[in-house]
Formats: sequence, structure tokens, C-alpha cells
Amino acid sequence: MVKRYGMVIDLERCTGCQTCTVACKVEHGIEVGSGISVQTVGGPHRDTPGGTYPNLSMYYLPTPCMHCDKPPCQDACPAGAISKRPDGIVLIDEEKCDGCQMCISACPYEALFFDSDKNVVRKCNMCSDRLDEGFEPFCVLCCGVDAMFYGDIADPASDVSKLIANRNAYTLKSEQGAGPAIYYCAPQPPRRL
Amino acid sequence: MAFQRRVRQAPVTQVIRTVCPLNCGIACGVLAHIKDGNLIKIEPSDHLGTSHVCLRGLSAQKMVYHPDRLKYPLKRAGARGEGKWERISWDEATNMVATNFKEIGEKYGPSSLAFVIDQVGALTTTAMLGFVGACGGTFIDPSGCGDVAGPCADKACYGSPWWYGEDYTVQFDNPASIFVWGENPAETKAFKWRMIRDAKEKGARLIVIDPRFTTTASKADEFVPLRTGTDAALALGMMNAILKQGLEDKEFIIKHTIGPFLIRTDNGLFLKEKDVNSTESDKYVIWDTKTNEARNPETPGSTPALTGAYEVNGITCKPAFQLLTELIDQYPPQKASEITGIPAQTIERLGIEYATAKPAASYKGLGGTRGNIHGDLNFRAICTLAAITGNISFEGRNSSEVNMTALMTRGFPGVLPLLNMYEAILEDKPYPIRSLYMARHNPINQYANFNKIIDELVPRLDFIVVADLFMTTSAQYADIVLPAAGPYESTDLYSPLGDGSHNYLQLQPKVIEPLHESRSDINIFASIAAAMGMEEYLDKSPEEYIDQMLASGHPSTEGITVEQLAENPRLPNAHAIQGFGTASGRFEFYTELLKPFGQELPVYLEPMESPKTPKAQDYPLTLLTTHPKYRIHSMFANVSWIREIDQGPVLEINPADAEARGIVDGDTVRAFNNRGEVILQTWINSGIRPGSVNICQGWSPEHFIGGTYQAMTHETINPAQQAIYQPNIAQYDTLVEVEPIT
Repeated sequence: MVKRYGMVIDLERCTGCQTCTVACKVEHGIEVGSGISVQTVGGPHRDTPGGTYPNLSMYYLPTPCMHCDKPPCQDACPAGAISKRPDGIVLIDEEKCDGCQMCISACPYEALFFDSDKNVVRKCNMCSDRLDEGFEPFCVLCCGVDAMFYGDIADPASDVSKLIANRNAYTLKSEQGAGPAIYYCAPQPPRRL
Repeated sequence: MAFQRRVRQAPVTQVIRTVCPLNCGIACGVLAHIKDGNLIKIEPSDHLGTSHVCLRGLSAQKMVYHPDRLKYPLKRAGARGEGKWERISWDEATNMVATNFKEIGEKYGPSSLAFVIDQVGALTTTAMLGFVGACGGTFIDPSGCGDVAGPCADKACYGSPWWYGEDYTVQFDNPASIFVWGENPAETKAFKWRMIRDAKEKGARLIVIDPRFTTTASKADEFVPLRTGTDAALALGMMNAILKQGLEDKEFIIKHTIGPFLIRTDNGLFLKEKDVNSTESDKYVIWDTKTNEARNPETPGSTPALTGAYEVNGITCKPAFQLLTELIDQYPPQKASEITGIPAQTIERLGIEYATAKPAASYKGLGGTRGNIHGDLNFRAICTLAAITGNISFEGRNSSEVNMTALMTRGFPGVLPLLNMYEAILEDKPYPIRSLYMARHNPINQYANFNKIIDELVPRLDFIVVADLFMTTSAQYADIVLPAAGPYESTDLYSPLGDGSHNYLQLQPKVIEPLHESRSDINIFASIAAAMGMEEYLDKSPEEYIDQMLASGHPSTEGITVEQLAENPRLPNAHAIQGFGTASGRFEFYTELLKPFGQELPVYLEPMESPKTPKAQDYPLTLLTTHPKYRIHSMFANVSWIREIDQGPVLEINPADAEARGIVDGDTVRAFNNRGEVILQTWINSGIRPGSVNICQGWSPEHFIGGTYQAMTHETINPAQQAIYQPNIAQYDTLVEVEPIT
């Protein structure tokens, strides 16, 4: 069976602490931007809820690169700088990237960002160099609330596959057909007495 | 306990286990990756069998190598606050400090030399205490900066200002319900949050009581949106519903609280055996309903009365619980509803849930103690609610101590709570303070009433020294600024805090050399000591001092050495605490000492700047200044990685309050009261309770368009808190008005 790396992010557990955002900067030496960003789903600004006081709701949505089956960024790149490994990880070759940013507008997930210092587009590579040596992605290691899981989503016996099945995990904008490999467990509704 | 995880490291990199030294209250174990003597990466280490790090800890390298680090000692070259400086040598700096200390000490007495330190480990604090003692000076206890009303309540209820006394109300294996009062651990206390989250995942229902819809509230099963600072009224309303249905835990009240002890109605003091017979006995007295007589509580077979009034030796007495009941009777849910803004039915339902879905854990944060100058009463009412329902745990409470007097070989420092410092500087009460040395602490930015500090306190001080990493707000007003070694540049000891945050004894080894000309705080004290003619003082290594601190004589640290801690962090030896530290040995919801203030019971008192006061006609909005995940007090406000996310200060306001003032999202506004003002951008936030606004704390004047948020807060002393322990700054007991700036 061909390995397919993917992640599951538990939105019930995620507290929007932004540790993953900064962890990515640390691991990959990124001054401005990050391979993962944390959106607030609720009000008009980060950390604000939607609704009318006191009937409010808010949750956080961390979005790394979705490492799609059919990456729209790859199709959009005129320089042929974007490739997909057999294990599903989508990579940008910074040597080939000329900074045209066509990929940024092609990505439905706003997962890519432009590094003006290096004049290249950057994004999450799922810490492929760490994975290849048997280490977890750095954001997964640093997540303080155990909300991030990674593994082989093609193997039904893997922990991530079980989590996807047990929690009915879903992907974002699945209707667009890119086939994202990042799954989300929905926030739980409040339990009334 | 040893760290087992494999660590990926770059070639020629050294990985050292140390402690995130930024002291949010957790002190996470971290691994520092060092290459060519430079800190290149932080990652989480093992900590209490798990691991943790946050966006601030991970950003440490940005703080350490920040271009704005203070690089060498500076002497003021213009007026205070003018920003003109002259570079001087360490010798000149320490000689100037020593000369001023000598002159001011001779003129006003050595106690006029005040020192304050915070955000450092136990060794550095111990070194400062020792140095202050050697100078004969005064240590300013900074805990009153919003943190000390909880300990006031803990002293009253449990008998010790054990930090928040929280263990008593949270240590349950499988709580059925969790009540979080005025705290946002999902954002600010990760370890505590994981305990709550784990219990919730096991089935506990989570109720979050807060005026603000926080991250923690977003995870709750029920959000209880009370008015700021009215926690005691909610707790009293819940107790009313509980007593009405007879759901109180009588056995617990009789066995573990002063509920059955008789109180004299003539003077409000506990009836003692000496009042009853001719003995000198200070033992408490109960009324035995079996024999209808006053007896010693230990009398076998007695059935103590909890209610009623009894005549003993001609003195009318009532059990303490009767007096509590009389207070609770005044707070039916409808009245509690009028005070708190929570529907009466909800209050009743919460009371019944709290008394029946047991055990119910109560996590108490600082919101309720900052939102009301009587914040200690809020904590006391919450603790009393726990006590009358038996939701108090005695299990697994341990104490540990390191020897904080280890370096007081030349005398003990005087100690003055920070709020008393204002009076000491302005009115020489209880004695004059004329010199202030601030180390790794930013009082001018973080203490209340900024304009008063600048206009009145600063000019009264003959000499101001700041030792820090950056030109903080406090440093800007100093006469001498000393570059302190930063996190990771000095060795320290982290000991258990005991508020559910961390229990480890951890060594924080120095992993890089101090940058620029900076020196560790201990080395700075040693230099000043030498310049003052105390060369032999502070001449040992940090490791030797840590060993002295571990040899505290307390069973919790017996046999533990710095060498062991260098190998692995560890829990202190278990040393169980028995019972309560109160005079009665029981939980005390009746505090004799507070009788002169009418606060012997956990009464509800309105905030000083309540929206029900006349002041609210001019300033109708309660100002909250809450703690965000993006900073620890004023630290990290200059760290680029974090500023990219949290770009600057905003005033958060409910859409209804904004609309009423013609404020549109993003407008520049002026928030103000009779003490001062701040000018900044607005954010519309539906999670802010109507009638209040929020500015996350820790920003400095340079971050605002004008003014600063602390210009509106006040430094009023609550004498009842002073009597029981220490007075607290009630930052959110502050009324303001907001207007758009066109």
C-alpha cells in the first residue's frame, strides 16, 4: 500500500494559541509569514466570537498546506517548481521558484505565502525532512493541547485513519475537488443539563 | 522521569535541558539548541510527564537577540524621561549606585532604599532578598499588582495565603462538573486548562463564569455572563437556592468548617470555653442539641446545632452557620440576578447543579479579584459555596519549600506591599522611600495610576535604577540603567508554585553567555555589594547558592542537590499538608479579624467604581485590562514574530455600546476618566459584555496613539485586605467613557 501522509486537527481541542504558527517560524527560519496560520471562526477579528452577547460562539481553524491529491498550486506554477512526493507531500523547489506567486492565487486554502527576502513562495512541507528521519512535524511536537495528529491516512489501521473514522473528520472545501489531506474534527456542541 | 524522547538536532549543535525563564507562572521545561555559543532554537522538553511550550517561549531567540537589547550601562544625561543617555562603564555605574545608596541611606535611613524584582527564578529572587537585607533596605512585594486578593481570601478561609488556595477546590479525580470563575486558562494557563479539558473529555460539564466571552468560555458547556466583580452575589444566590432545597452537606459543615461553633451576638467573636466556665481555655464551643447544652466540639456523641440561637452563661450565641444562613437569606436568586445580570432561574439551576453534580471543581481566576476592590470577598464567597456543599478536597495536598533566606547572611529585608509604596514615597508612611531599584520588573508601566506615578512619585524619588533587557517604560524614568543578562544567559532554580501550574524543582542552567556587556542580576548585586565595601558578599557560584537553598531543612527538599537537578528535574519529596492552617484548624467562612470592617462573613459589596455609583453618569463603562496569550505583562510586546499576529493595542467594545457612541469598527477612540486617558483603535467585539470595554494589558505608552491604559486605573487601598494580608490593585474596578476622535 502506498503511504499517504496527512494530518488530523481536532478543533474541539485547539485553543487558537498560535504556538504552531510560531513553531513553523522556528523550524523553518521564517521571519514574516508561517506555513500554518490560525483563523478565528466567529467574529470579524481574531479572537472574537460571532453572535450577539451572550449567545456567542467561536472556534479556531489552523490551516497548513492541505497537501492535496491534485494540488491546484502545482498546475498553476509556470516554473514547474511545485512537486508532489509519492507519499503525498507537496513541495516547492525554492531554486526553481521565481516568485511569480501564481500558486498563491490558485490555492483555495490561502496556504502559501510570499517570502520577500528570498523572493520565493513558501508553504508547509509537513516537515518532510523530519518525517524522513522518523520525527513528527515540529508544529505537532509543539502543540500544547494535543490537537494535532499526523500519519498515514491511506492505512485504515493508522491512528489518524481511526480518528478520521471515529470523529467523522472532514476536509475543507472538499467540493473543489483538490483532495486535501488535512482533516478536521468538528468542535463539540455544548452539553445542556 | 528522565527525558526519553529522541531529539532531532542539526550537526555540531548542543541540546541542553533548561527552563523557559519567562515566568508566566508555568516555567515549562525546554530544550535549548545551541550552536557556536548561540541559541538557535527552543523546543519543548519533558515536563510533568507531558510537554509544553507556547508562542512566547518559542520566540525567546527573538528576545535574546533583539537589536534593542540594552548593551551597556547608561547614565541619565537629560531630565528624567527625556531619553538622553550617556554610556558609562560598569565600574562607574556600580560606584554611582553605591554612593547614592550610602548617601540616601544616611539621610533617610537604610529602609528608604527600596527594591523590587519579578519574572525571575527563585535563586535570583533569593539573591535580591539577601542583598536588600544586607543594605538594610525594603523589598517591595509586587504580588499586589492584581494577584493578591485571592491569597487574602485563602488566608481567611484556609489559614494560609497559599497561592489561590486552589488545590482545595480542584483536586478531584473525576469531577462531575467544573466551574471556572473569572479565569481564562485556555489562553493563559495551559497546564490548568489541560486538567480541565481532560476532565471535560471524561464527561465533566464545564461552566465558565466570566463577563467576557473568552477562549475558555468558547469551550464551555455553559457561559454565565455575569457583571464584572459580582461573583460573590452569584455565589450567595447559588447558596440561597442550595439551602432552600436543603442540599447543603451538613456532615461536612459540622466536621470541617466552623459552622457549628458558637458566636457571641454581643461582640461577634467566637464563644470560647473560658467564656463558659472558669478555665483559661481558648477552645471553641458548640451547642449540643442532644443534651441542650454548650459543649466542647470534641465531645463524643454530641449533635452540634447549625442553626438557632442559644443562651450560654447569659450570652446569646448563634452557630456560625446560622449567621451565614442569615446572610444567604438576603440573597434570593432574584436579588442576585439584579446584581449579577444572570437570570434568577439560571442562578437557582447552577446552585442545584453545584450541590448535586459532585464533586464539583471550582477554578478561581483573578478576574473576580481584579474586578472589585473587594475581590477577596468574591473568592471567599466562592470558597464558602464549596465548603457548604462539601466540594473541598483534602487529598494529595503537598507543601514544599526552598530556603529563600539562604542569602540573608547580613540581615533581613523589610517588606512593603506595592500599594503601600505609593504612600511611603509620597507621605513617608510608614517610613520614607527615596530610592527605587527595579530589576526585571516594569512597575511604572504595570502598576496603577500611571499619571500619579509620573507626576508625583517619580519626582519624590532621589534615585532610580533599572536593571533590565530593554529600555522599558520604567527604565525611561531611571537615573541609571543597567543591562541585565537575559533569559538563557544565567543560572537559576525554579521551585513549585503551587497554584496547579507546575510542581517541579527544575534547574535552569545558563546555556549561552550574557550578551553585550550585560550581567546576571546576581552579578549586578555582587558588583554593587563590592562597591559598597561588602566584597565577600555574594562571592559564590549560582550552583553553590542553589545547594544552600535546597538545604532548607524542609522535608520536601531533603537530600536533593543541584547535581541531581542538573541530571533531571524532579518533584519535591512528598510532604502532605494536614488540615487547614486557620486558628480553628477548620474552614473558616467567619473571620473574626474582619469584624471591624463588617466583613466577617463573605458579604457582597459593590465595586468601588460600580456602574451604580454617581461616577457612572460621567464614566459609564467598566474597563477590563485582561491578559492575552501574546504577552507576559509587558514582555514580548517588542518581539516581531508575535507582533506579526497581535499587531497593536485595540479597545474592544460591544456593538451596542459602539453604536450608541457613533463608533465604527476600526475608529480611533479616546477612553478616559478623571485620572487619565488613552487613544487607540477600536475593535467591535460581541464577546465584550455591554457596559464594559477591554484593552489587553502590557502595552506601553509608545504603542498607543496617546496616553496609556494604566492612566485610568487607581491605587486605592482596601483596608480589610491590608488587615488580613496585603492590599490588591483592582485593575478592573475602573470606570471610563469612550468617545470617537474625529
